[in-house]
Amino acid sequence: MSSRSDPLLRVENLKTQFFTDAGTVRAVDGISFEVYEGEIVGLVGESGAGKSVASMSLLRLVDSPGQIVDGEITYKGETIFGLEEGPDGDLREREDMLTNEEVRTRIRGNEIAVIFQDPMESLNPVFTVGSQLREFIELNRDLSSDEARREAVDMLREVGIPDPAERYEEYPHQFSGGMRQRVLIAMALACEPNLIIADEPTTALDVTVEGQIIDLVDDLQAKYGTSFIWVTHDMGVVAEICDRVNVMYLGEIVEQAPVDELFYDTKHPYTEALLNSMPRPDRTVAELDPIRGVMPEAINPPAGCRFHPRCPDAREACKRIHPENREVARADGQPHRAACIKHDVFGDEYEESVPLEGRAQETAASATDGGESEESGVESRSQSGNGSGSTRKTDGRRGGDDRE
Amino acid sequence: MGLLRYTAGRVVQAIPVLIGITVITFILANLAPGDPVRLMLQGQEVNQEVIARIERQYGLHRPLHERYLTYMGNVLQGDLGHSIHRDRPVTALLAQRAGPTLMLVLSAYAFALATAIPLGIIAATRRNEPTDHVSRIVALIGVSTPSFWIGIVLILIFAIQLGWLPSSGLVYPWRSPDQYGYSGYPELAYQTIRHLLLPMIALGTLQMATLMRVERTQMIESLQGEYVKLARAYGVPERTILRKHAFQVAQLPIITIIGLNLSTALGGAVLTEYVFNINGIGRLFLEAIQSLDYQLIMGITIVIGTMFVVGVIITDISYAYIDPRVTYGEHD
Repeated sequence: MSSRSDPLLRVENLKTQFFTDAGTVRAVDGISFEVYEGEIVGLVGESGAGKSVASMSLLRLVDSPGQIVDGEITYKGETIFGLEEGPDGDLREREDMLTNEEVRTRIRGNEIAVIFQDPMESLNPVFTVGSQLREFIELNRDLSSDEARREAVDMLREVGIPDPAERYEEYPHQFSGGMRQRVLIAMALACEPNLIIADEPTTALDVTVEGQIIDLVDDLQAKYGTSFIWVTHDMGVVAEICDRVNVMYLGEIVEQAPVDELFYDTKHPYTEALLNSMPRPDRTVAELDPIRGVMPEAINPPAGCRFHPRCPDAREACKRIHPENREVARADGQPHRAACIKHDVFGDEYEESVPLEGRAQETAASATDGGESEESGVESRSQSGNGSGSTRKTDGRRGGDDRE
Repeated sequence: MGLLRYTAGRVVQAIPVLIGITVITFILANLAPGDPVRLMLQGQEVNQEVIARIERQYGLHRPLHERYLTYMGNVLQGDLGHSIHRDRPVTALLAQRAGPTLMLVLSAYAFALATAIPLGIIAATRRNEPTDHVSRIVALIGVSTPSFWIGIVLILIFAIQLGWLPSSGLVYPWRSPDQYGYSGYPELAYQTIRHLLLPMIALGTLQMATLMRVERTQMIESLQGEYVKLARAYGVPERTILRKHAFQVAQLPIITIIGLNLSTALGGAVLTEYVFNINGIGRLFLEAIQSLDYQLIMGITIVIGTMFVVGVIITDISYAYIDPRVTYGEHD
């Protein structure tokens, strides 16, 4: 990741919404990120953060009633999605935007391939593994049926499936979960795409298999130089495999940084909370610090910063100000962006603001803490230990839903 | 190899079912009120001795279980007994009547499949659109209307009012055109279809309605499958997804439904044959019941029961053949 030329994929202000009876679900709400050649970019967040919708939007494969409503997706200079203002002032699709047919034939599979989360369900139960692999290869590469077959067998061997020629003839139910995920990886690589979207590919697998699959992808990525978007909720996987990370919360990217920078100099309280909730060998289960509450629904996101109802650092200003993702630091010549008004670049609103009721703050709050001490269980947290050096008190309630 | 053993296993499992069918029918037929000998004599005044002689001739004087065992022994040798009323072997009567019934049931299924599958797919792809609602109403009417009523309405409209199609009887394509006085085979084929059309629709509507709803549900489910999502993500054309990826998976339950609905189809055939005056097994069955012709009732029940059991076995085997996940009971 040395020379920063044009990115392979550029996503700008992407918005994908679902128009349901209950209201408009803003599943992806203005995210921007890039993927450069040969890198693995993480898209991290809790369930419902909009990671999968975001990644499917890149292929223009959002299921009804979902729709991409704004933003721009450029891949290798081609416009997968783009809007412009028409003569009547309304937004309309840009002239150079690829048609559905063009996206299907030129992008899906042969340029951007996908590995889905559930290897048990992703393969068609009534066709042999080989025939499915061959079908996708034939469709996305100019190969004859025989050549595609040979390629399929080679690829099965490449992903570590023993006796690939025999397994080619077998059906998905004859494969274990890990083996099926290997087949899906073979599928993606066999189409020779430049970008692979891996949508929680190891979530359905047990931990030992997960490790094998991650090692496999790491090796193959090095060999083929394919870029990856790795969608996951698991910070451990991120640390292991990603070059750069985008942390998503409720449809927005709240922090964006190279992986080491993200872990050692965390800038957003949500990322920090994610890191604290991660099981690690140096901490007992009792020391795990789950994030309070549940993520609100994207139909009616909280005003101001969307994380403020659950944020241990939230202050009055957080309820008002909706922070955009701004560069707060630089690491190795790359930007570290965070959407949190704690940081200086957002001005001093945060500093001048009072902490939100019921939330004990490390510094400013200690003086006024007395009045709120009926909020029992205020306890001291141990050093969070992730290198960011932040020590703070949070109230002891865990997992309780204390949204306003 | 596994498939062969599986088939053999299913056949063996069918034996107790068939024995059960014969026992129950045998008991029910003998419990029914009315005495076949008196019915045969049609009220003629005869002395006890004549009755006793007739009873001895047909073995009716012996206890029930003995008669059953004798009967089953004969059945295993291919002898279904002798019809008292018609004075002919039951097997001969059945052989004569099986053709029309098979023709009717198979054509009704062909009609049902040919219409239900495309309609079900259309309804699935246009879910909750007007087409889907219309198909739902049609299916509801089809399921809740008895086949004989549909038959009568069809006769009223197409045979009596419009005069387009004949209202009774069938023309059998396996006979020579001369027997009907037709000019040749093309006319024989044409007349066969003309005669078959109304009873086929009358009997097939229920099957069509059921299959269409199942096809719709299965297609909707299949189209939401992860494998469809995967195929889309790899640029497979929507046409191919519909016809191949989603379709293949969706057909598995259809096969089951066809096999299990064989019972309603055969039951419906009895009434349809009656309405359309078709000389099939169904009408023979009704006549046998009316005249308490035990041997004939038993024979027909065994044949229909066997047809149903064979149908279910064929269903199971074809299911195992089509769905690779079905194991043949060896492992898993």
